[in-house]
Amino acid sequence: MKSGIFLKTLTGGAVILGLSVSLAFASADDAIKGRQGCMKAHGASMGVMVPMIKGEKPYDNTAIQATLMAEDGACADWAKWWGADTQKGETVETFAKPEIWTDAAGFEAAGGAWYKAYQAVKASADEAGFKAVFPALGAGCQGCHEKFRRPKG
Amino acid sequence: MLGLAAFWVLSAPRPLTAADLPAHTADIANGEKLYNAAGCRSCHKAAADLKDADPNLPAGGTALKTPVGTLYPPNLTPDTETGIGAWSDLDFVNAVQRGISNGGGHYIPAFPYTSYAAMRTEDVLDIRAYLATLPAVKSPPRAAAIPLAFIVRRGIGLWKWIGLDTARWQPDPARSETWNRGSYLVTGPGHCAECHTPRTIFMSRDDRKAFQGGPHPEGVGKVPSLRDLIGRGRYKDAKDIASALQFGEIMGYDKVSSGGMGQVQSNISKLPETDIAAIGEYLASLK
Repeated sequence: MKSGIFLKTLTGGAVILGLSVSLAFASADDAIKGRQGCMKAHGASMGVMVPMIKGEKPYDNTAIQATLMAEDGACADWAKWWGADTQKGETVETFAKPEIWTDAAGFEAAGGAWYKAYQAVKASADEAGFKAVFPALGAGCQGCHEKFRRPKG
Repeated sequence: MLGLAAFWVLSAPRPLTAADLPAHTADIANGEKLYNAAGCRSCHKAAADLKDADPNLPAGGTALKTPVGTLYPPNLTPDTETGIGAWSDLDFVNAVQRGISNGGGHYIPAFPYTSYAAMRTEDVLDIRAYLATLPAVKSPPRAAAIPLAFIVRRGIGLWKWIGLDTARWQPDPARSETWNRGSYLVTGPGHCAECHTPRTIFMSRDDRKAFQGGPHPEGVGKVPSLRDLIGRGRYKDAKDIASALQFGEIMGYDKVSSGGMGQVQSNISKLPETDIAAIGEYLASLK
């Protein structure tokens, strides 16, 4: 029956359309959640390392390596999280500024500066070495947040 | 006609006169401190197309987006043609504390003279003396893009009746010397209230709601409240606040880098530790 095929096609199309729409939504939210989880892991690492820099806690490279390892895990999918369709979430709020996408080269450079500092902290093996490279890591966070994260609220 | 005449009279600039200037021997080191506290460089940033200019100099020309239009804050280096080299001390004080330009017009209050008005004039003169020591940069003024600029600028004269409080900052004798230092730096040069205090429907600072936070001047997001920072769990104590201002994200204080605060923090970080501690003490006391 002609109308039967038409109906099936229509239903099938609607299902596929609906699926892809919901997939797209899910992926923007998932990407944003992924980014935010990674940022929380950055924050957790800072929480471990800053007291050592300030001298409130003794230097402990094992603890540093452990928190950085956890950070690596939380941020493993970083490259997949910045599609143009992730500028706004469906249910999750993001504080990412549009400049991330309009100034992709600047975003890349700021991220690169952070990553370089991050690698240096990871490679440091003693207290003096750690203290020497640490400030660049924090500056790396700031370099990105200043330009590419909007204030909350 | 009468209305127009009234507008004209009421909106006229009311500058200070030479008699208002104190006798003062400039202290350049103090001027540099207050230049950093006042964050002059953040807005008067050298435009990217000024190839030969040190980007750290306040040579101006960088676009500043404001609710009334795009401004290009001018050159503060001592170049006599394009900077402030030919200005008198009185010109400078009128600009900084009354928002009146060298040509006698009103500045748009994106230039926070509404806070600088609370400063000691001696401190303003010290900033002027410090600026005079900087290398001169040729950076010609760039015309602001303000719709109805003439009316807007003149209208600011009217707005100043409510928006510009010319009272000097006063110490609170019941408080410590360091608290008072912090209060002065925050209120006058630091001009923190310009963003951290909400505005009334007339766009003047609503000082009854001082430091309660408000909408971000760039239009998106909010500027956080500075009240009860410790009670609300934002910081541990006054020292923690000072530490955030001194180090920012270098010490993991990630709340002080977005929305323009990163630049503010980097300016404050150049102050002596004692001044930063004083700001921390004052801010911690805001309830």
